[in-house]
Amino acid sequence: MMTQQGRVLEILLSGHFICRVSDEEAFLYLQHENHLNQIEQQLNILNRTLSSAADGEVFYASYLTLHDKERTILERQFKEISSNLLPLVEWLLLIQESSAQDTPLTQGAAIRLNEIQSTIEDTPAFLEQLSKISAYPLFGSLSKTADGQLKQIFKRLTELGYLVKPNSEKQIYIATGKIEYLYEVLRFIDETEALSLTEQAAAAMQQGVLL
Amino acid sequence: MKQNITQSGQKILRALGRHSELIMQAYIEGTVDESQHSPQVLENLQQLGLLWRPDAESDLRLRRVVRAILEAGLSDERNRQVDANIASALSKLYTLVAHYKEACDKHKFIEAEAHLADLTELTYAMIDTLKQGVRGLWSRIHKEFGYVASIDAKIRENQLAQQQVTDLLTQLEMFEFDKLAQEAGSNRDLRRLLVVTLQSNFSLVAQELSLVQARLIELLGRFREFQGKTRLLKGFILHLEQKPNYQPAQYTRHRQVPNLFNLASDLLKPAAINVNQTEHEAELSEIVARIKAIQHLHKPKPIMPAQVVVVEDNETLELTDNKIKKAVEAYFCHIIDTGERISALDYHLQHNLEFDTEAWLYQVIGGFEALSASDKAYFSVEKSLRDHPLYSGNKIIEDVQLWFR
Repeated sequence: MMTQQGRVLEILLSGHFICRVSDEEAFLYLQHENHLNQIEQQLNILNRTLSSAADGEVFYASYLTLHDKERTILERQFKEISSNLLPLVEWLLLIQESSAQDTPLTQGAAIRLNEIQSTIEDTPAFLEQLSKISAYPLFGSLSKTADGQLKQIFKRLTELGYLVKPNSEKQIYIATGKIEYLYEVLRFIDETEALSLTEQAAAAMQQGVLL
Repeated sequence: MKQNITQSGQKILRALGRHSELIMQAYIEGTVDESQHSPQVLENLQQLGLLWRPDAESDLRLRRVVRAILEAGLSDERNRQVDANIASALSKLYTLVAHYKEACDKHKFIEAEAHLADLTELTYAMIDTLKQGVRGLWSRIHKEFGYVASIDAKIRENQLAQQQVTDLLTQLEMFEFDKLAQEAGSNRDLRRLLVVTLQSNFSLVAQELSLVQARLIELLGRFREFQGKTRLLKGFILHLEQKPNYQPAQYTRHRQVPNLFNLASDLLKPAAINVNQTEHEAELSEIVARIKAIQHLHKPKPIMPAQVVVVEDNETLELTDNKIKKAVEAYFCHIIDTGERISALDYHLQHNLEFDTEAWLYQVIGGFEALSASDKAYFSVEKSLRDHPLYSGNKIIEDVQLWFR
């Protein structure tokens, strides 16, 4: 029998994120300071440290000290993150626009695939957008139908840890804390590079540019 | 007088009932389609004050009061008006109090009673309006302004609601309870109405309103967060549209890598099997048992040559009771051949038949009954019967005599 501590350690060392949605028990375990310290000590042995993002909504392991080997890994990962940004952002906007309420996807929000699918299938603009998104290497769908494209996208996102599917028989997905991490990455890039993305969007919306 | 009011009131209600379809149509569509209804009916409804024409060129519309009844009854979301003109209600209240006190002083009790009734009505109406306003606000909060689609519209709706709460609170500030208490003086009825009823409801409403305000601010915060996130996403797309070659800076090459991009690689790989671990023996053997034979690794079997189909006759079925039937036939033939009268049991004895005597007798009787009527006529039959020892009316067949006529 593995202890909760061992389980949490295993998730972190496997390179996964821990959030309220993906693993509530592990998440609650990390809310105690004692547990945090224990995990931190064990991670330190392996040159890792516990990090959190999005106001403490997600935990993950990061390197304690960076040498050439770690830097190479980080650079590779960053390349992946930055090339995945556009497909993910386009997907997020598609989900937001095709869902009944115009709210951005946040941690814990449910997506009913059937509802999304019927809205998308009824709207040519969404269909076009969907086939564009599904063709990105991140999703790599070869399907010609909206059904196949959507299934492939959702399958990949579940594999990548952005979504969880609580009931394998129902087509309902729940967004995890990794979505919040994604927003934070965008916000970070926006602030550090002074891109003023929000202001651009607001100005464009006022001018009536349809996005 | 009272009779008159009742009658005209009923007339209005009857008109509402009789033309409910027209009124609901006007409620839903906003205006009445005059071509569909007779001018007489429309004229009548206008006279009763249910419909009105804002100006000569516009269509007929429902009067505000009728609309308000329906909105309240249907809990319609379109009713987002918070109506609280406390100031005018309060000055009316003071006027009525003055009327009442004057009447009391002059010992005109009937008049005083009428004033008090008006006063009661006014107070309750005031409380009702306030509560209605709070209720309306709550229902909008519970639906999270779901009746408008976009986040921006929700934010505007939220701001409207907040404005209404502020208005309600300033209205509530107009209540001066010392002044009301002073006005009421030592009059029991007035005190009950102006001090007790009003004050308890006042504090209730004020309490609710502060809760409403807190919830509204919380919701606004959430909406703003949503708005921020949406703008972030849209801004990013927009930015990439303007600068298609945009690449985020290489943060990982910085001396100090931002923690956000410092993601450790996965370290753990699945563990291997240890076959020497005796505790795992049962599970391991189960896993081995579950391993499926991989079909395509086996040599494919040669395809079997087609077989020649030989059609054979069906075998004739032999019935087990054939023997006894044949014996019965032999018995009948014996009688025909010899012409003697012989009992079935005697025949059984003579030929040493192997069947049970009872079965034999049964078969003989059955064989006889099975003969066709013309064949039956050649034989005579006689059963030797005995009464059943216990059950009267039942007979036991002991033997059968058969002879040829």
